[in-house]
Amino acid sequence: MKISLDWLKDYIDLPESIDIRKLAYDLTMSTVEVEGAEPTAEKFNNIVAGKIIEVLPHPNADKLRICRTDVGGEIKQIVCGGTNLRDGMTVAVAKPGAFVRWHGEGGLVEIKNAKLRGAESYGMICASSEIGLFDLFPTEENAVIVDLSDFDAAPGTRLDIALGIDDVILEIDNQSLTNRPDLWGHYGIARELSALYGIPLKGISCGLACQEIAGSGNPGLRIAIDAPERCARYMGLRIENVSAKASSFKIQSRLWRVGQRPINALVDITNYVMLALGQPTHAFDSGNIEGGITVRKARDGEKLLLLNGRELSLSPEDLVIADDEEAVALAGIMGGSKDSVLEGTTDVILEIANFSALGTRKTATRFELRTEASVRYEKGIEPQRVELAASLSASLFASEFPSMRITACADNYPRPLMPPRVKMSLEWLARRMGKKIPEATIRAMLERLGFTVEIDGDVVDVTPPSWRSTGDISLPDDIMEEIARLHGYENFEPSPIVSSFTRTVNQREHELERRLREYLSFRCGMQEIFTYPWVKDTLIDTLSLPKDGMLRLSTPPAPEESRIRSSLLPNIIDAVSKNVRNFADGFAIYELAQVFYDRGYEPRQDEREKLPAQRRRLSGAIAGSPGDIGGLFRRAKGIVENMPRFTHMAPFSFGHREGEGAERTGKPAWADGTVWLSVMRGDEAIGCLALLSKKPALDCGIKQAAVMVFDLDVDAMKAFPSRTNSFARPSEYPQAEHDISMMFDESVKWSDIESAAMGKRGPDDLVREARFIGEYRGSQIPRGKKSVTVRLVIGSDAKTLTSEEIEKASGTITKRLSRQLGGELRA
Amino acid sequence: MKEKLAELRLDGDKRIASAATVAELQTVKGAILGKKGAITELLKEIPKLDIALRPEMGSAANELKNHLASLIDEREEALRLLTAAIPPDFDLTVPGTPPLSGALHPITQMRYDLDDTFRSLGFEIFQEDEITSELYAFDSLNFPQDHPARESMDTYWLDGHDTGRGGDRLCLRPHLTGASVRYMQSHEPPFRFVYPGRVYRNETTDARHERAFFQYEALIVDRDLPFTAGKVMVKGVLDRVFGRDVPVRMRVGFFPFVEPGFEIDMSCLVCGGKGCSVCKNVGWIEIMPGGMPHPNVLRAAGLDPAEYTGFYVNIGLDRLVMMRYGVDDVRFFHSADLRFLSQFR
Repeated sequence: MKISLDWLKDYIDLPESIDIRKLAYDLTMSTVEVEGAEPTAEKFNNIVAGKIIEVLPHPNADKLRICRTDVGGEIKQIVCGGTNLRDGMTVAVAKPGAFVRWHGEGGLVEIKNAKLRGAESYGMICASSEIGLFDLFPTEENAVIVDLSDFDAAPGTRLDIALGIDDVILEIDNQSLTNRPDLWGHYGIARELSALYGIPLKGISCGLACQEIAGSGNPGLRIAIDAPERCARYMGLRIENVSAKASSFKIQSRLWRVGQRPINALVDITNYVMLALGQPTHAFDSGNIEGGITVRKARDGEKLLLLNGRELSLSPEDLVIADDEEAVALAGIMGGSKDSVLEGTTDVILEIANFSALGTRKTATRFELRTEASVRYEKGIEPQRVELAASLSASLFASEFPSMRITACADNYPRPLMPPRVKMSLEWLARRMGKKIPEATIRAMLERLGFTVEIDGDVVDVTPPSWRSTGDISLPDDIMEEIARLHGYENFEPSPIVSSFTRTVNQREHELERRLREYLSFRCGMQEIFTYPWVKDTLIDTLSLPKDGMLRLSTPPAPEESRIRSSLLPNIIDAVSKNVRNFADGFAIYELAQVFYDRGYEPRQDEREKLPAQRRRLSGAIAGSPGDIGGLFRRAKGIVENMPRFTHMAPFSFGHREGEGAERTGKPAWADGTVWLSVMRGDEAIGCLALLSKKPALDCGIKQAAVMVFDLDVDAMKAFPSRTNSFARPSEYPQAEHDISMMFDESVKWSDIESAAMGKRGPDDLVREARFIGEYRGSQIPRGKKSVTVRLVIGSDAKTLTSEEIEKASGTITKRLSRQLGGELRA
Repeated sequence: MKEKLAELRLDGDKRIASAATVAELQTVKGAILGKKGAITELLKEIPKLDIALRPEMGSAANELKNHLASLIDEREEALRLLTAAIPPDFDLTVPGTPPLSGALHPITQMRYDLDDTFRSLGFEIFQEDEITSELYAFDSLNFPQDHPARESMDTYWLDGHDTGRGGDRLCLRPHLTGASVRYMQSHEPPFRFVYPGRVYRNETTDARHERAFFQYEALIVDRDLPFTAGKVMVKGVLDRVFGRDVPVRMRVGFFPFVEPGFEIDMSCLVCGGKGCSVCKNVGWIEIMPGGMPHPNVLRAAGLDPAEYTGFYVNIGLDRLVMMRYGVDDVRFFHSADLRFLSQFR
């Protein structure tokens, strides 16, 4: 919303010295966010009024003239192609350094001294469109120079001053106004400034005693309100002997300054009243209204052709203004085409009404018709404002049309608004604000805002003014806000947060989540990512995930992304495919986020609410060379295998479970037929670890990399209450590490080797550990065989072993591996 | 014999000292102490000497042998150290081997920084499901029945669960604030907790707007907590995040779930408050809304608003991270682009 400082001064005598930046800051801190303050001076820099002394022909051009022009104390020669130039004419001169829009088109161009067809020209004489004044001085064609001879403009005066339109325009963020229906016009802002600065607010004067006509008992106009819950008040004035002429320059220029295009006096007055008071009004051509006015709900399927040419099919949820024949306007939103004020209009019926916020919003939303009027009604305007608007309208009609007559004034006001009363304790106020503000100050602040205040001991009894009574103020907390904002939030000193320590913060589940992330990022070298919860259908299909059981959005970001994830994998695989071309050497990513299922609906706290099953999952992908699946598998497995130890939670084991899906976690459909494992915590399968099989990888565009994936249920993990490492005293005697390499059939697994090596151990067994060191397949190894290197850790708690004893212990193991698994010792 | 010994000593000392490598020294050693070495040969001569001279010469010869043997050992030690030394043209400019290259998402980093700050003030961390209902997203928070945020244009309602009212109408949470009521319903006051999380809004995305973004809320509820106490919290958070004193201002703001409501602005760090394009020339940047929980919200949480009050702030994590690093497009956070993410370690 744009607010004119000049307009505000109609309602409040701001000091001449007021710093506009300070005013904008004060409003921002205490009332509404002022996004900018733009002086008109900036637009009219170096553009001044000039007086043409004489118009001379141009020696070299038929269409150009040379104007000897008084630009303030000096006569300059300006070349101009205007078709309406004459001696003695007052014109707008853009001096060198001014910025104009050439022929009203394109961007702003700086004016410089120039030679035009051989003649020196000091700047330029402008058409209205060239200096942004087209709406105030409309012309048929660009070659017409704006004629300012009617203005009392001394040559050399900056143009906005010469025209009396010098002003500062405040730009106010509408979002910061949503709760303040009283601020949607200049008068409301003036009222707020009056409270902020303690400067009295002026009244709105009534040019004609319209209330007297209303009170005469002969309203002269029949107004019926059939839906009082939607229309608390409707005032209609019949005003005769008016016309659709242009309004006065004062009205036009004010509208123009705040971004409203002047149209004609009748429309301009209604706009002016709305921008002044925030109260929409509407003028009907009285000749087009048959009989009286009825405010009623629309009939089902009733048609209404709007001013903008759009035809609506209405329902009883919509409120219309109807004459005795049919609907003529959509209440509070837009007039109909039938009743429009036209060129030939001489008599109007002026509607000044109060429509309900909720009803207006619903209709405006359904038809996507947000108008200046509907936006204001939606905020909840008090019905008393109708009188103010009637006064201002009457005085504007009187000044624009001196011979007009108000021949009827009907005021139907079925639902007077009762302001709430709020009681507040002063002691409570001081405690909540952390500061005691004197009683007299509180009273003065509230009274400046229009509140009625009675103080009895500790109790303040407050009645808000009508314009704050439509929902804005109803609680002691609302009163506190009024006092705190007028005092200024920045004028409150911070006070300490007092605490009593009854327990320490100990949140195992949250700490586990953090440890998981830190483990993966810092120990495992994985990058955390975030992806959206919605998933492309093609990705779900590619991974052969079941679509039933997935929740969907009513209005998804894209039609093919309507499903929200029951698995993190589709978007993780998508992220792999996006990164694979930039990171050919491989990379590792993970995400910890919630997934959602269309089942398991249960109440959380409140029985009225049933929420679907939602679980946190932790999924990762490690992309690497397809030439080293073994290495990739070991890295991924190592990450999952060591996760419980490093993050202090109940351990995992691996196995092969049956059945698909997040609960059973057998072989996933997207997984390679061989390289997959179920991950268990105790007996419970909580996830899987698998190689993404070729087909889905290719379908996702992953050609150059193999991808190991893990997918785990975080809610099934169990954090230990504390760190759980157990202590074992290191042996006092040295341990030997002894490597053996043996050749086995491919069918022999490491788990076989390890259990054969370590199985059936006696108390004095010297082999303490058998570690996997590596596998080798190559030219020296026959097909179908592999060489496995095992590191035996050999030692005793009782003595230092001799090399013979070590050899012997190692030999026992070799023999056992050879006997049980057919292993052959290599050199 | 004596002259011979003196000669051998002189010669031995010289040859040992001039051996330039361990291999050369081995040759010298062989020539002196080997089976046919000079000393060995000399010792063989001792028994042939006059019996009276034998003890003297024998001990002198042995002394010489020990002397040379230890000299050889010393020289060998010195030569070995010499050869083990790093050549002077060793390249010191080769880059170090990088550690594992993983990292937390920059949003998570910011979140954990804030967690640490709030935990130091005794706050608990609270997290809630991302799918919630109108009951908690709007009703409990004093949103009017006709509030525009309830319409599908702003909130992601769930298909098949979007027609009912209250607890039957489900959505991806449009903000975190509703979760505060869940916490308050399931804990005993006084409360002091933060609730980080991702929220969803149905809007058109651009460099400044995302459909999924992160919020971080903090709430204290206690008996008669003045809102001035909240100022301490706000300032502490920003000082921690930016590592220095950040000018903050608190001004009027309106949100249905707070009364009074604040907008908290921080001085624009790009221009130092002078005004620039980032702060739209005002010198201040909106960084978090806040306020005292509306009495209706406290009632929804089962508290008596006459007894309890509180202070709340909602920090936009995305905006804060953007300010911290100068990121100019919010959409990077969900891009999963490692070229972006790997910059924040």
